[in-house]
Amino acid sequence: MQLKTPANALRLGLMAATCALLSPPTTHAADAPEDDGPWQVDAGLLYYKENEGRVRTIEPVVNVRRNLGDDHIVGFNFAFDSLSGGSPNGAIAAKSKIQTFATPSGSSLTPGSGPQTYVSPSGNTYTTLAKVTLYTIQPGALPLDPNFHDRRISFDANWSQPVSTNVKGTVGGHISDELDFDSLAVNGALSRDFNAKNSTVSFGMNAELDKIKAIGGTPVGGSDYAQLLKTGSKSKHVIGGLLGLTQVISREWVAQLNYSYDRSQGYLTDPYKILSIVDSTGNLMAVSSSTAASPYRFENRPGTRTRQSLYVGNKVALGLQTLDVSYRRGKDDWSVKSDTVDVRLRVPISNDWYIEPHVRWYRQTAAEFYHLYLDQVDAIPQFMSADPRLAGFTATTIGFKVGVDLGGNNELSLRLEQYQQKASERFSSLLNLQGLDLNPSLKSAIVQIGWKMEY
Amino acid sequence: MLNARTALMIFLVASLGTLQGCSTLGVKPWQRDLLARKDMALDANPLDAAIDDHLYFSKEAASGGKGFGGGGCGCN
Amino acid sequence: MGDAGAASGGSGITPQVVRRDDLTVAISFSAMASPCEVLLETQDLALAHELAGLAVDEALRIERKFSRYRDDSVISTINASHGKPIAVDAETSSLLSFAAHCHVLSEGRFDVTSGVLRRVWHFDGSDRLPSAAAVAALLPLIGFDKVDWQPPNICLPAGMEIDFGGIGKEYAVDRVLGLITARFDGAVLVNFGGDLAAQRAPASGEWRVGIERPGQHRSAALLLGLSQGALATSGDTHRFLLRAGIRYSHILDVRTGWPVPGAPASVTVAAGTCVEAGMLATFAMLRGAEAEAFLETQGARHWALRL
Repeated sequence: MQLKTPANALRLGLMAATCALLSPPTTHAADAPEDDGPWQVDAGLLYYKENEGRVRTIEPVVNVRRNLGDDHIVGFNFAFDSLSGGSPNGAIAAKSKIQTFATPSGSSLTPGSGPQTYVSPSGNTYTTLAKVTLYTIQPGALPLDPNFHDRRISFDANWSQPVSTNVKGTVGGHISDELDFDSLAVNGALSRDFNAKNSTVSFGMNAELDKIKAIGGTPVGGSDYAQLLKTGSKSKHVIGGLLGLTQVISREWVAQLNYSYDRSQGYLTDPYKILSIVDSTGNLMAVSSSTAASPYRFENRPGTRTRQSLYVGNKVALGLQTLDVSYRRGKDDWSVKSDTVDVRLRVPISNDWYIEPHVRWYRQTAAEFYHLYLDQVDAIPQFMSADPRLAGFTATTIGFKVGVDLGGNNELSLRLEQYQQKASERFSSLLNLQGLDLNPSLKSAIVQIGWKMEY
Repeated sequence: MLNARTALMIFLVASLGTLQGCSTLGVKPWQRDLLARKDMALDANPLDAAIDDHLYFSKEAASGGKGFGGGGCGCN
Repeated sequence: MGDAGAASGGSGITPQVVRRDDLTVAISFSAMASPCEVLLETQDLALAHELAGLAVDEALRIERKFSRYRDDSVISTINASHGKPIAVDAETSSLLSFAAHCHVLSEGRFDVTSGVLRRVWHFDGSDRLPSAAAVAALLPLIGFDKVDWQPPNICLPAGMEIDFGGIGKEYAVDRVLGLITARFDGAVLVNFGGDLAAQRAPASGEWRVGIERPGQHRSAALLLGLSQGALATSGDTHRFLLRAGIRYSHILDVRTGWPVPGAPASVTVAAGTCVEAGMLATFAMLRGAEAEAFLETQGARHWALRL
């Protein structure tokens, strides 16, 4: 181990500076542009797997970046994402009944051998007999849609350059394509340095336009699951702003404070999520005793969402170790409040190797329209969702990353983490739901291999 | 409680504090040796950050904060 | 003394080219307010004349470009910018970046904006110290950290000044040596006012360099052998103030505006290039009483003279 700064570090620095000054020894007749930097390539392969046969994903990601000279920096990010496995559809487990659900497997608008599509009087709603794959869920089991699969290709590009003394401008764009979702986004930011670059204030804007083209048609929010009221594609957009301050506190400590605000508008409902309706005993509502065609409803979320967050990040040098601590407070007008604490400590264990333990703790409150299930005796609410992601829960991530410097700015790393969600509302006092875990914990493993290189 | 106005106020007060207190906060150029370390950059691992943003965006109701992170996905 | 002649560069200054008894040719001229000398081990006088022209042109080019005393120099343009950003050429840019590095490496002790202190400090051997108030009044105009240097743009706050006095001569030595060795593969030594660099040893084995005895011109207190590399000296035994028995050296601490206490009268440092040697010598002087210990730590051969 030779991690100590050499005693003559100053001289080594001086030799390097002298070298830069005196080479090349030719005349400085013409002003050559500042040399390009190398391409910095950051490649990663993520494997993510949830417990109980739930979602599994493999995602290769490549991030390349280059300083083209004079701090004109161009960057690209490419990711391919392949998802499969079972995803909770929002319905709850039933104590003694086998539940049957349908996964749409083709567009309802695809011409088939017979009439598959009927236009309702409203003119833009279809009652479809879409091609579906049925799946059954055994009593006591959480309904997971086993046919869930998707793939996603996303591409980001960004450019940053100085625009005047102390001011830097950044513009970027994002485009991604999924089987059932397209997204296009642009962003721009300006940042300015103050106090001999000890403070940086930045302001950024982001606009995103998404198209939801759910397989089998996009359901009408809140409609009966069996009636399959679907429309064509839907859209949503997001406009956001971010105000940031980066401050060097001391020789060992740099901090960042961000306030962000964004507003989404459009179809914010998850097209595949439903809710169960139960009677006073906890059994699924009997269809014969009501006007409903099924004891399930498609979820329905409000058409707008306003989110804010305050983020404080810190990097602290503790000798040769590096501590990264951040806290985020989030709030939205769906009454989801969240707190996130993230701590990483990078510990060099030899000249080339380092290990970085990581702990993350997250807590959110439930959205005001979140329900584990709907009660038959109550009126069907306008907005409702049983999506576990809108439930109140705490989540913890524990893991570590190890990396080795291969020389020549090449680094290989491995990250192993475990993520676990524990919902705050999981049980019901209704007779036939007693003893059933209605929102079981999610547990997943994250394995990531990373390779940084330059050429 | 965090509403837009109080958050903005906290932010502005913090900003003004640092901008005026420049004589006490911050370092001289020659004291940037530690801050210049690659692992001391606030975005030292952009790839990990992007993967985390994407992952947590698809599993949790809150996202972003550090930047415009995690959007552009039908997964939530 | 052997043959003597004159070579002329494009600059109008005519260097003396003299063949000496020790098989070398000595080129001498005056530039940057210093006697300049280039020693070549060659019998080819025509080549020596050509190289002499090259050396003079380069020395004068650097002097013209970077002298703070010339209105048309880049430095004067920057100093007259009154806080407006100015884009500089690549050579000025590399010198400014070097100065910025040195500022950082010396933890702020070496500072190319310190020249304004000359307005109150006159090291003429007298006892006329400036008032503390006069010195303090200048401090807001000093500090490279106040300069916004984002290559190739420099923004120098109004009232501040930059000068390359602490770098220019050594830089010229290394540049001239580089130009000559690109065309000449014999032994060369370039010496501008006591800061020198050599490439290849002469047939006699080593270049013999005398370090002047303080206050005594051309009287060697020490004789060094040098085959390759550079020597530079910081310190000037003529420039000081003396009051109440205390000697105030002309080495100023930019952080206080007052002379660094306990600095040696002069220190000579050996290093790979003249710029490096000069900077090490300057850094050492700025450490005052710890000058020698500093050079020891940095592993630099040195010869310090204390009075």
